[in-house]
Amino acid sequence: MLKDLIEKHLLEVQKPSRYIGGEVGSVLKDKSKIDVRFAFCFPDTYDIGMSHIGMKILYSLTNERENYWCERCFAPGEDFEAIMRENGIPLYALESLDPIRDFDFIGFTMQYELSYTNVLNMLDLAGIPIFASERSQKLGQIVIAGGPCVCNPEPLADFFDLFILGEGEEVNLEVMDLYAEMKKQGASRDDFLRKAARIEGVYVPKFYHFTYKEDGTIDRVDVTDGAPATVHKRIIRDFDKVYYPENFVVPFTEIVQDRASVEVLRGCIRGCRFCQAGFIYRPFREKHTDTIYNEVKCLCENTGYDEVSLASLSTSDHSEIDPMLTKLLDYTVRERINMSLPSLRVDNFSESLLEKIKKVRKSGLTFAAEGGTQRLRDVINKNVSEDEIMNTCRIAFEGGYSSVKLYFMMGLPTETDEDIIGIAELANHIIDLYYSIENRPKGRGVQISISCATFVPKPFTPFQFEPQDTAEMIEHKQKLLLDSVKTKKIRVSYHNPDVSRLEVVLAKGDRRLCKAIYAAWKKGCKFDSWDEYFRFDKWQEAFEECGIDTSFYANRRFEYDEILPWDHLDYYVSKSFLVRENMTAHKAQTTPNCRLRCSGCGVNKKVGRECF
Amino acid sequence: MIRVRATFEKCGRAKYISHLDLNRCMLRTFRRSGLPVWYTEGFNPHPYYSFALALSLGFESRCEILDFNLNDEMPFDEIRERLNAVMPEGMSIVKVAEQKQKITAIAKAEYTFSLVSNDTDKLFSDVQALMSSPEILIEKKTKKGFKTVDIKPDLEVLACEKSDTSVNMIMRLPAGTQTNYNPTLFIEALKQMTDTGFEVRDIRRTAILCADDSVFE
Repeated sequence: MLKDLIEKHLLEVQKPSRYIGGEVGSVLKDKSKIDVRFAFCFPDTYDIGMSHIGMKILYSLTNERENYWCERCFAPGEDFEAIMRENGIPLYALESLDPIRDFDFIGFTMQYELSYTNVLNMLDLAGIPIFASERSQKLGQIVIAGGPCVCNPEPLADFFDLFILGEGEEVNLEVMDLYAEMKKQGASRDDFLRKAARIEGVYVPKFYHFTYKEDGTIDRVDVTDGAPATVHKRIIRDFDKVYYPENFVVPFTEIVQDRASVEVLRGCIRGCRFCQAGFIYRPFREKHTDTIYNEVKCLCENTGYDEVSLASLSTSDHSEIDPMLTKLLDYTVRERINMSLPSLRVDNFSESLLEKIKKVRKSGLTFAAEGGTQRLRDVINKNVSEDEIMNTCRIAFEGGYSSVKLYFMMGLPTETDEDIIGIAELANHIIDLYYSIENRPKGRGVQISISCATFVPKPFTPFQFEPQDTAEMIEHKQKLLLDSVKTKKIRVSYHNPDVSRLEVVLAKGDRRLCKAIYAAWKKGCKFDSWDEYFRFDKWQEAFEECGIDTSFYANRRFEYDEILPWDHLDYYVSKSFLVRENMTAHKAQTTPNCRLRCSGCGVNKKVGRECF
Repeated sequence: MIRVRATFEKCGRAKYISHLDLNRCMLRTFRRSGLPVWYTEGFNPHPYYSFALALSLGFESRCEILDFNLNDEMPFDEIRERLNAVMPEGMSIVKVAEQKQKITAIAKAEYTFSLVSNDTDKLFSDVQALMSSPEILIEKKTKKGFKTVDIKPDLEVLACEKSDTSVNMIMRLPAGTQTNYNPTLFIEALKQMTDTGFEVRDIRRTAILCADDSVFE
């Protein structure tokens, strides 16, 4: 039995409880009564994957069906992977401890581009052919993916049988239902894929054939096997009634987000032009206060967590935020539960909101200002003014806070040296503000942390056409920022620009990248999002060997009328809107948020109703 | 407020829960149970509970001790049932009773384990030789670094038997607030003196005892 083999080596590895299952809330079933077995794979370690809400939702949702069994599977740490390879332990699922190669579905959630090599590594560890074309026609081992990255699935196209676009709560079950029926009929893999391609939200890459022009851009996409020319994403229409788990798997070992978590809204009204999530998750939908309250209470009672977080892209945009927090705090304070509120915006940060937050957390405040000057913030449509930032900081300082963390991006479209210097100036203004406040925290200096990421243009954003700054440009800007900061009260940190370059290539790439990802993995690349594992030299070798010029994807402006690798996928936001927004950005003009005025992104036409 | 002593088991997959994780796990178990657990009254109130002895990662046991306080009087059986309804796989409360003795009464613990080998005859004689040597010196990790200790004077071997595939042992070692020796010290010493290959299986703590060999309650 695999369990004995695993247990024989388990005490040799770090945090062994990650590899043996048995957690409270995990679902065990009698496999003889199961029609469809689904391995939900997160292409990173347990500590990270277990923090993912999407997995919790789809895990519980699938397991509600008596004859379907969804189990969890993660990338093993390096120590356990070595033991697995040495002792012939195939990648297995944590509930049954059965090898996932025997499952009907192997489903990956693609949350970030830098996890792509982990998918290949996990398939290899599982003993499943890495290329979809090498999998047998016998029905089983259907390798699928969903999540934000599959809005441009082309760099992964060779490895997957099908992709699920948009929200999975309904379409996942539809795909499994079709599978269960066709398995009974003895259908082949291709039979199944042809029929699955007709389900809305399902993209079967092998039925789409790309031809390229001499200059490397896409000439046309030919569709075969009766698959639709355009694949539309799926959304949940009635978000207030959508399935939400009553229980989570509660890990023994500490994970990154070790708390109960309730999704309070989906989508975002803001339209920040760099933000992929802000566009691909449209339309904006929210749950009612009562629904949220019931879900929070139910989850806390069932899991025993003493901490709950409200998850969303922008929690303070909830239309009932104040009454909602009042009601929730009444419960959480009584039950000694900590509540955390990530994703608060600077501009609607009221004193009453701060009073509520102060009750629940003692940590510092974080604001995403993104750009150092008003002009640049207008370009990216981050509708936040310096006055609003100052006002928020004033409220925070008067409320007893003495440290603020600010997020910025570097390399944004139209950015100049002035914008970079503006980051340091903004931080200086905040320091001046602190010392001008009479009732500031006594005996404490102010601390401003500036965290600077490199801008990565992403598909389905108005900036999808934009080139990324070259490494030289970013280096210059980083140095300029460091030189502009002249006080120890400001701390500056920034991301490795090589990581951002790989990210943009994988985000905006086409199908020709598959072989480079394979080559990079063969050279030992995995866990690319972990600093200690990231090997840009290996990636560069892989691109070179595959004849891929990364600047074609990273540093080239994509034309408005060019066929983009993701143009045949419909995320409800129209390309003409993205073009319009791109032009508006270059004029440094802003677009108001969706609640103030509809900007005509096209989502309401697709959904068939107004968003507000 | 009532003071309660629970005896619990930690077996199967649960043996991979580390002591630190077990703390968090119990906190959540208490919360799930809805029992009126008594909270400390300091600046950061938290439920008060403590484990009598830490159990090493990978050890199984049916005799672990957990002390905690409840705000209200409640039948012991009900406490046990409410906790067992929400315990993770492999863990359960065997008994709930009052706290008869002080934690400081704990003096030793009893362990069983098997040493699996291809050459049990040779291994058996090696074990015998180790047991009869005048001292068993071994490096022990302490808070201040490593220190050489002689476990021989405190080692009580209750059984050492040979089967076709293994050597099976029962031993008692000091435990508690003063001296704590883990059976892995003995196993380490054995590894150092023999070239016979063996694997350790099924390490279990089978009893927590007082100085007079009575079971700690």
